[in-house]
Amino acid sequence: MTSFVESQERRDLRAAVFQLGSRYGESYFYSAAARGAKTTELWGEAAKAGYLGVSIPEEYGGGGGDIGDLAAVVEELATAGCPLLLLVVSPAIVGTIIARSGTDEQRRRWLPGLATGEARYAFGITEPDAGSNSHQIITRARRDGDDWILNGRKTYISGVDEAGHVLVVGRTEDARTGKLKPALFMVPTGAAGFEYQPIETGLVSPEKQFSLFFDDVRLPADALVGREDAGLDQLFAGLNPERIMAASQATGTARWALRKAVDYAGQRKVWDTPIGAHQAIAHPLAQIHVEVEAARLLTQKAAALDAAGDLLAAGEAANMAKYAAAEAACKAVDQAIQTHGGNGLATEYGLVQALANVRLSRIAPVSREMALNFIAQFSLKLPRSY
Amino acid sequence: MNIVVLVKQVPDSGAERTLSADFSVDRASSSNVINEMDEYAIEEALKIKEAHGGEVTVLTVGPAGATDSIRKALSMGPDKAVHVQDDALHGSCAVATSKVLAAALRTLSPDLILSGAESTDGRVQVVPHMLAELLGVAALTGARKLTVDGSQLTVERQTDEGYEVVTAATPAIVSVWDTINEPRYPSFKGIMAAKKKPVQALTLGDLGISGDEVGFAGATSQVLEFNKRPARTGGAKVVDEGNGGEQLVSYLASEKFV
Ligand SMILES: Cc1cc2nc3c(=O)[nH]c(=O)nc-3n(C[C@H](O)[C@H](O)[C@H](O)COP(=O)(O)OP(=O)(O)OC[C@H]3O[C@@H](n4cnc5c(N)ncnc54)[C@H](O)[C@@H]3O)c2cc1C
Ligand SMILES: Cc1cc2nc3c(=O)[nH]c(=O)nc-3n(C[C@H](O)[C@H](O)[C@H](O)COP(=O)(O)OP(=O)(O)OC[C@H]3O[C@@H](n4cnc5c(N)ncnc54)[C@H](O)[C@@H]3O)c2cc1C
Repeated sequence: MTSFVESQERRDLRAAVFQLGSRYGESYFYSAAARGAKTTELWGEAAKAGYLGVSIPEEYGGGGGDIGDLAAVVEELATAGCPLLLLVVSPAIVGTIIARSGTDEQRRRWLPGLATGEARYAFGITEPDAGSNSHQIITRARRDGDDWILNGRKTYISGVDEAGHVLVVGRTEDARTGKLKPALFMVPTGAAGFEYQPIETGLVSPEKQFSLFFDDVRLPADALVGREDAGLDQLFAGLNPERIMAASQATGTARWALRKAVDYAGQRKVWDTPIGAHQAIAHPLAQIHVEVEAARLLTQKAAALDAAGDLLAAGEAANMAKYAAAEAACKAVDQAIQTHGGNGLATEYGLVQALANVRLSRIAPVSREMALNFIAQFSLKLPRSY
Repeated sequence: MNIVVLVKQVPDSGAERTLSADFSVDRASSSNVINEMDEYAIEEALKIKEAHGGEVTVLTVGPAGATDSIRKALSMGPDKAVHVQDDALHGSCAVATSKVLAAALRTLSPDLILSGAESTDGRVQVVPHMLAELLGVAALTGARKLTVDGSQLTVERQTDEGYEVVTAATPAIVSVWDTINEPRYPSFKGIMAAKKKPVQALTLGDLGISGDEVGFAGATSQVLEFNKRPARTGGAKVVDEGNGGEQLVSYLASEKFV
């Protein structure tokens, strides 16, 4: 994006993805969730058209686009009522980290599967005592000959049951100083000593969260992604895509909820006019429309900066976008429910199910407070409390 | 095989549609899309190319805004496009449109012409037949299945009662219904490539057609008035008083559903 309008190709991509997503819609998404099924059919069709691999480099079979293209895919699917959480994790976070930091051999091994959408990888950084504060991570890898031995645990990790591998953020001990530094490992979900258990949540989503336990999990030397001493930089490479994707998922859901509210408000008559004519119904929707568009613009700016290689400026925009998008999405779903009256709480309309899902966008992958902390410290240069 | 697919841009049938003051289809105030049936024709062309090789060209007669639909069509996979655009075309009847399409087709000398069986705006279902007549090629219309064996084409032609099997040798025109296949979604690579594919612009002059043969001036028929479709009525209600099943079946039979 070099202007305030996305390229023709980006807009065509949006239209095509939205058309596909609309053939599925929220009824597909929430009925799969209710049955305990996955969104396999939609994932498969989107993969076949190359939509899931848009941001993977062409030489590995991907579309050769950037994170803005993938963000458009996730946003349009969410706008159609299908917010696919694993897209935020698998091609965006894991794909970006491996594409930017992996060795040539690792790229050849992991990226083609992401390009076709056949492979799915989870991403595990959160631990029971290290959520917002990832400095507290205790999952640790030690050398044993050429191998690595991994011990520790993770929590709230999405999609482990669907993933072949989890990209685990652990620590290794610096041989000289004894200090622990972050290091990333591709851990097969079937590895000996690796167990995972589902976490019961109130979310209505086909994707589930898990607690992970690593008990002397033996990994080959090349399970370590990139270089041992570049862990932190590599991790940061994945943060912008993660936030841009989370923001896009949120603006997509906001647009979906707003559309439902507008359709309903235009038709439902309680007195003589459609309820959408009452300003008490119309103005909140108009206000949300403005806030969603503002969040989208910030998100597209963040994606454009990231694609241009200005990662620092992209980080600032991505945090702002993530914050603005989550707030807009929560408001949109809340107001859509209000607009629907009692129907807002009927499962048939899908809005009540979306309530917890948009609430998630305020917490993960980075909480509202931590995003605001970043903006306070980075953009406003305010002192920090922690 | 050299395949040309006829692609018409029409107002989105899912949205509000209306006619302009001159009784032509209002294209300015509507969102315009590829005529749905034509996407099936594109898909069929691509499948034939994938199986037998060759080249697929999209041909459109339409205003400047039709480039959006041409780009969308190209993003599905065809190699190139021809866009006949001329202000004099506004208000053209089916006969004139066919004349223009035929002239453009002569410049492309296709083995196979694929089209939709009808457009969602005009819905006259005559263009493929008129083209067959003008070009002197076989017309296999209303296909729900097409098999290509060398230069031999076999079509299952959909009718109200069932289907007929008809065959012809190329060159021929085949028009298709939406039962023939499942059109692909434009792939990301297709979308990125579409803008770079060649689109040849032709005017009426290029085709040796004068302005008064087309448009309102050359129309063989004229729209005198039009009315809005009556509002939807409640539809048939079947009340079960012991014979509900029978009533239901006879209703479905009268609508040719069973
Ligand atoms: C459905 C779901 C899916 C998830 N998927 C994944 C996944 O795939 N991979 C993964 O690694 N993680 C995942 N997570 C974890 C998620 O990233 C964390 O929940 C999130 O980062 C917050 O961490 P926490 O839950 O430990 O909260 P805590 O860190 O305990 O925070 C609690 C509250 O305190 C606030 N707070 C903390 N510190 C400060 C401060 N300094 N200033 C102001 N406020 C503060 C927080 O904002 C928050 O409101 C997922 C979570 C959920 C709910
Ligand atoms: C309001 C209105 C006024 C009209 N006025 C007149 C009139 O005065 N006189 C008259 O004779 N007709 C008139 N028509 C008919 C109109 O001209 C025809 O609809 C038009 O010429 C093409 O016919 P069709 O799209 O209905 O073709 P169909 O035969 O239904 O279309 C079949 C297929 O032919 C191909 N095709 C058709 N047109 C094109 C195109 N432009 N470019 C590329 N491919 C194409 C497509 O593949 C399409 O799927 C009018 C129609 C309307 C709605």
